[in-house]
Order: sequence, then C-alpha cells, then structure tokens
Amino acid sequence: MSAAGKTFRWIVIGVFTAITLLPLLWLVLSSFKTQAEVFANPFGLPSEWHFDNYSAALTAHPMHLYLRNSLGAAVLATLLIVVASLMASYALLHRFRLSKATFGFLLFGILLPVNALMTPIFFLVNMMGLYNSVLGLGLVYAGLFFPLGFLIVKTYMDTTPTEIFEAARIDGAGFHSVFLRIAAPLASPGAITAAIFLMITAFNELLFAAILTKDTAAQTVQVGVRYFLTTYAANYPLAFAATVIGMAPTVVIYIILSDRIVAAMTAGSLK
Amino acid sequence: MTTTTPGIPPAVATVAAPTATALVPRRRPSRGGNRFAILLYLLPALALVTLFLAGPTVVVLGLSGTKWAGIGTPEWIGIDNYTRLFSDPAFLKAIGNTLAWVAVGVLIHTPLCILVALVIARRPRGWKVFRTVLFLPNIISATSLALLWYFVFHVSLGLLNSALKLVGLESLTHNWLFDPTTALGVTMTPWVVYIGFGMVLFLTQISTIPQEFYEAAQLDGASTLRQDWSITIPLIRRAIALQVLFVVGYALRSFEYPFIMTSGGPADSSITLSLYIYRQMLTANQYGLAMAAGVVTLAIGIVLTAATFWVLRRTER
Repeated sequence: MSAAGKTFRWIVIGVFTAITLLPLLWLVLSSFKTQAEVFANPFGLPSEWHFDNYSAALTAHPMHLYLRNSLGAAVLATLLIVVASLMASYALLHRFRLSKATFGFLLFGILLPVNALMTPIFFLVNMMGLYNSVLGLGLVYAGLFFPLGFLIVKTYMDTTPTEIFEAARIDGAGFHSVFLRIAAPLASPGAITAAIFLMITAFNELLFAAILTKDTAAQTVQVGVRYFLTTYAANYPLAFAATVIGMAPTVVIYIILSDRIVAAMTAGSLK
Repeated sequence: MTTTTPGIPPAVATVAAPTATALVPRRRPSRGGNRFAILLYLLPALALVTLFLAGPTVVVLGLSGTKWAGIGTPEWIGIDNYTRLFSDPAFLKAIGNTLAWVAVGVLIHTPLCILVALVIARRPRGWKVFRTVLFLPNIISATSLALLWYFVFHVSLGLLNSALKLVGLESLTHNWLFDPTTALGVTMTPWVVYIGFGMVLFLTQISTIPQEFYEAAQLDGASTLRQDWSITIPLIRRAIALQVLFVVGYALRSFEYPFIMTSGGPADSSITLSLYIYRQMLTANQYGLAMAAGVVTLAIGIVLTAATFWVLRRTER
C-alpha cells in the first residue's frame, strides 16, 4: 500500500477517534473544575479536583430513584420480550395454516416509526390506569421493542438442527417438554444477545418515558437528566457532573463487556 | 423466502432475516391438541404486538379524522386535520427538516460509515481498540449525548468556541444553538459524526467476502482503493440498503437532539416531526391533530422504505 494511502488511513482513524473521545474527555475534566476555571482554562487538567461537584449533583437529584425506575422498566420489558419471543419462535417451528402470516404480523412493527403512535399509546396507558408507573412504561417498551428481540431469538432458534427435536419426540417428549428442556435452553445464547440489546435500548429511551411519567414514582434516568440543564443554568460544572453520572451506567458495562455488546447491538440487522 | 407479510414489503424479511425459515422442520400437519398448544405459545407475543403496535396503528388512522380534546366522544371532521396541518408553517418546517435529516443521513453519514469501515476492515494496528472506541457512543443514551453536544456548542463556555479562540479564529465563534441558520445542522452533528453502528454493520458484511477476491485483484495489480471500489462496495450493497433503512427510521424518530439542544427553535428552525407531534399532544392538547401528524409520519416512512427497496432491487439486477 502506498505511503499516501497509509497516511490517509491514519488520518481517518485519528479524526473519528478524536471526535468520539475528545468531547467526552473535555466533559469529564470540566466536571471536576469550578465555573471560573471552565472559562479560564477550558482544556487543561483541573488545578484542583472538585469531587464535591458529584456529591452536590447526587444530593440535588434523586438519581437512585431514576435508576431504580429505569432498571425496573428495562428488566420488565426484557423479560417479557425474551419469554414471549422464545415461546413464539418455538410455536413457529411448527407449520400451520397462517404460520407465515403470523410471523409477518409479529415482525410488522420493526420498520414502524413508533413515535407516530405516541398519542394512542398515551391514551392506552391512561385507560389501563398505568400512567406514571414503572409497570406501564415496562409494558409499553415490551410492545415497542418486541419485533427487535423476536427477530434475534427466532433467527437463533431456527439454526437448531431439526434432528434434535425429532429425537426428543421419538423418546416420547411432549410439546411442552421439548420447549422447556430442549428448544428454550438451546436458544439461550440468542436470548442473552437479545436481552443485552433490549436492556440497553430500553434503558436509553427518552420519548415514551417523557410522555408516560410525571414524577419520581416512574421517571427514568433519561427524563431526570433533562432537569440538570435547567437546575444548573448558573453552575455548569455541576451540570457536567450530572451528565457524566447519566452516562456512567452503560459506559461501565460497555467497558467490561464491549465485544459482547457490539455483537448484540447489531445482531438483529445482519446474519 | 417469499412470504408476503402484512405491513412489510417481502424483501424486508429477506434483508433482515435471510435464514429465518431455511431450517424450519418439515412436519406432518399438527394434530388438534398441538394446534391449541401452538396458539397458547403464540399468545403472549400476539398480545404485545396487538396491544402496542397494531392496535395503536389502527387507532391513529381512525382518530386522525376527528377533533378530540382527550375526553368525550371524538367528533368526525374528515380531512380537516390534514388541511390544518398542511397550512401550519411549523408542520411544513418539521417535514422539511425531517427530510433534511434523511438526506444528511444518506448522503453524509452513510458514506462516512462506509469510509471508516473500509479503513478498519484492512485491520491496521490496533483496529479492535478503534472499533470498540468508535462504537462507544452507540451505547450512551441520545439524551446524555445531546447534553454533551449542547455543552460543546455552548456560546460562552462551549468546547467548540473555546477551541476556535485557542487557534486564533475568534471571528468564527458563533452562537451556534440560537442562530436559525445553524441550529438544524448543530442538532444533526452528533448523529452524523458517531459512525459506530453503521461501521460495525458494514464490517460484519465485509467479513463475509472471500479473501480470494482480493488476492486475485492484487495479482491483477489493482490498488487498495480500486479493490474497495470494485469489490467491497458492490458486495455490501445489501448492508448499505439496510443502513439507509435505519437512517430513515432514525430520522423519522429523531427527537432527543432537537428536544434537548434547541427545543426545536429558534423559530422552529430545528423542529422535527417527532417534536411536532409531542408539542401538539402535550403542550397544545390537540390530539386529533397529533394523530394526523402521526399518520403523515407513517406515510413518509412507507414511501421512503419502498423507495429504498426499489433502488436495491434495481442495483441487484
């Protein structure tokens, strides 16, 4: 490869790495400064590390409640989708009249711009008496993200060799025990991939969390993070600290499980 | 796979799940008892989709022709909501901006994703680390990233203006967020520069191309650039089509960046369809109007998706 080509390659990598990391680095460094220092010394290390910005941000906002609500809704949605997907994928291993139509119906929402449905869903949740509840938000996420999880689980279960099911049936295993003892356990890697994807997607959702909740009984981290701006109009380092806190949960998990997460986040798209 | 599925053009299922039915066991038609069990197993999935996707789609279509303040019986007013929508400058602006998101996504964001994927696919030293780093923004919530870029573009303490001052380009500093000529571009910027998702999508597809193709090209004296252009790009066109579908989907949903960075302003210059619906619903309580705007969003989605498939099919011929 030519020298010019090599230089160009490293320029591309350098530019995109810088644009990804530098703003984040600047945010983290600034979050330890005082307001005056953010203006006077925008790029250097903080002259004094103000960890109290973080404790102040945590006392001013009920972060633990937001976190509880986010995790509650995400876990509920993930469990519902994974269980429903495993069951439906297993049912669709059997051919029956309308099986193709059923498959199509279950995937129908995958390309839908779901924000177009925010008004009917808002009223649906109100009518169910689930406005401003973690349960209501979790159920809505379970419905909206179902096609994405289902596609991952079904694609995986379809790779199980048919002979395994046949052998189990010859040994006298019934419909339910084939599912519980063979189909579901063998599809668990697909289920875990789907679960990682769904947890992150649901945890990061803002629009529906914003329209379906009104106070700390159900507001999520994403909804709470918004208040940081208005609260700290006069003290930006505290707003920076609050933003870093909002990013921390998924980033920490990504640092531990990055390869697994990269695979999971793109699993539904290409196989 | 030749399923004709309601709602999705058949080719979606082909792009999205080429192996979906390849290994389905061929069994004798189920007996009566099994049929009941199959239905039972489908029930949770059918319930979720009916309740939160199919049902709301039907409702949004039906009620978009009514005047409704949230209580009482919706009053049928035919296409009045649509005539009102299309005479509302904010709505027209929202459509224009959403289409601008699509155009920028297809013409700028996607080529950048391809460029970085082509570079990383050649496995330069440390490519795995770069892949991991470049994907990082995709697991951070758009809400937090929107806040980050709000600070980056902030007029007095923002990273961008500070950097411009540092290198002596003070004349270029700008009130990026509150200038109607820059607000739209500013709200798109984080989405455009975070190329991680598309990059991984293309890398996955590139990894399925047999190495022999490149070896043969090398023997023929083709440069790396030439190989990328004549071998890689034509062979990843399916991934490109898929990426375009994601871009369309994201553009139609784009909410967090304008909502947090500019609130759609100044003077609606950065409003999107999502934000418009949100406003009509929560601020103005115009539910019939909000649903009509939802229907327009769905219609734009269907047209753009169909167009993507049309182009893909033509290139595959």
